[in-house]
Amino acid sequence: MRYSATLVEHFLNPRNAGLMRNADGTGSEEYDGCGDLTRFYLRVHGGCLAEARFQAYGCGPTIAAASVATELAAGRTVEELTLLKAQEIEDALDGLPDDRKHAAEVAAGAMRAAALDALGRLRGERAE
Amino acid sequence: MTRRVYLDHNASTPVHPEVVAAMLPYFSEIYGNPSSVHGFGRDARSAVDAARERVAGFLRVRADELVFTSGGTESDNFGLKGLALARGRGHVITSTIEHHAVLRSAQALEAQGFAVTYLPVDQYGMVDPDAISIMHANSEVGTVQPVRAIGAIAREAGVPFHVDAVQTFGKVDIDVDAMGIDALSFSSHKVYGPKGIAGLYIRRGTKMVSIQHGGEHERRRRAGTENVPGIVGLGAAVEVRARDMKAEAERVSALRDRMWEGIRARVPDVRLNGHPTERLPGTANLSYRNVESESIVLGLDLKGIAVSAGSACTAGSVEPSHVLVAMGVPLDWAMGAVRSSLGRSTTADDVDYVVASVAEVVAKVRKAMPVPAA
Repeated sequence: MRYSATLVEHFLNPRNAGLMRNADGTGSEEYDGCGDLTRFYLRVHGGCLAEARFQAYGCGPTIAAASVATELAAGRTVEELTLLKAQEIEDALDGLPDDRKHAAEVAAGAMRAAALDALGRLRGERAE
Repeated sequence: MTRRVYLDHNASTPVHPEVVAAMLPYFSEIYGNPSSVHGFGRDARSAVDAARERVAGFLRVRADELVFTSGGTESDNFGLKGLALARGRGHVITSTIEHHAVLRSAQALEAQGFAVTYLPVDQYGMVDPDAISIMHANSEVGTVQPVRAIGAIAREAGVPFHVDAVQTFGKVDIDVDAMGIDALSFSSHKVYGPKGIAGLYIRRGTKMVSIQHGGEHERRRRAGTENVPGIVGLGAAVEVRARDMKAEAERVSALRDRMWEGIRARVPDVRLNGHPTERLPGTANLSYRNVESESIVLGLDLKGIAVSAGSACTAGSVEPSHVLVAMGVPLDWAMGAVRSSLGRSTTADDVDYVVASVAEVVAKVRKAMPVPAA
């Protein structure tokens, strides 16, 4: 098997898969030329992530990367999530083959976009 | 130990025990070079001759019309380039859904100044009959081409006709005379013979040039010491096919249909790619809409089931199958294509396990999916 046991486990039992209604922030990232797509929905309490859900279209690693990212993100501040790196997701999956590195990049990009969206809404509320 | 189900017989097959038994003496007991004049060589030569007779009998052709090669790819290269180059410059006609061994040979001929026409196919992957190098059946979707009609047109036009029969040899009846075929590629490891051995039938009197030069082997058409154990294996495989082919085709077709019906009943948004009836016995190419085929292949692999993906994600770019694209299969379906090819060891129990597993894996992957309209 070319994938780690952790990756396979997340692929078989994805955490937090599915849509979230009335999310406090959403963000997507699509990988050019590949069609892989990941979208996160965030629920925020007091500036910190209370819950994340994802939807992903792609190969096994893409689904696993999105799943592990929802666990990584738990409890972090929204600001921190705007800086989430692909490497952190890859490490949490115990590595990715060279031709599947994009799975972590797509997940990280989507999480950063969702966090930025949430941050914008938070600041908008404060400004009101 | 996880249960294992092999549904990739179009990729390769296990060597039949009778074939293994026939080959074994030719590794360390009868090991001479068939070109040698001494007794060791003569023993090897008679084995090669006997196998050639067997394959010729199976194909209903003359033994001297057969050339053994290293594989289907070499046979396709030899068949197409050999026919074209024997005529100098000219016009080659093939189709858009050919195996890469034919498509890239055609491109190589283009680079040498040939004009090449790539015929389109219909939604079932069938060509309009008017051609020169056409595959008998497509390995991905299994559609069997009307080669008899194409051969008749080629013959009337006096154009030599090469057929890539790698997927049909030993599975579907082939009659080179009735089908008007001048050159025919066939392979051993798709029909329970060993890898590394294949052949090209060349109709007597057909102008051909050699692609591989060297000694005087294979009536000076293909140089290189004969792969004696391989040839013996191919001969033995053909003998088994002649005996089992018809009954197996019926049994495997029924299992294939049982699988399709089972999946169709349990999985929404699924379609069958390829011709509904004119199709290889064991082949079922199914598309799951808006699902990426590789995630299904991985999910099934984890359940011990071997199938193959219709699209390949390499280095971050997904290429949907050129065959499905040529057939006009929409991208949201083509990306989710999975081919199963059943074979002699496949059981009804296997099929039921696969149906249940597919339903589970597809549902799981779909659960993580964005809404299609997004």
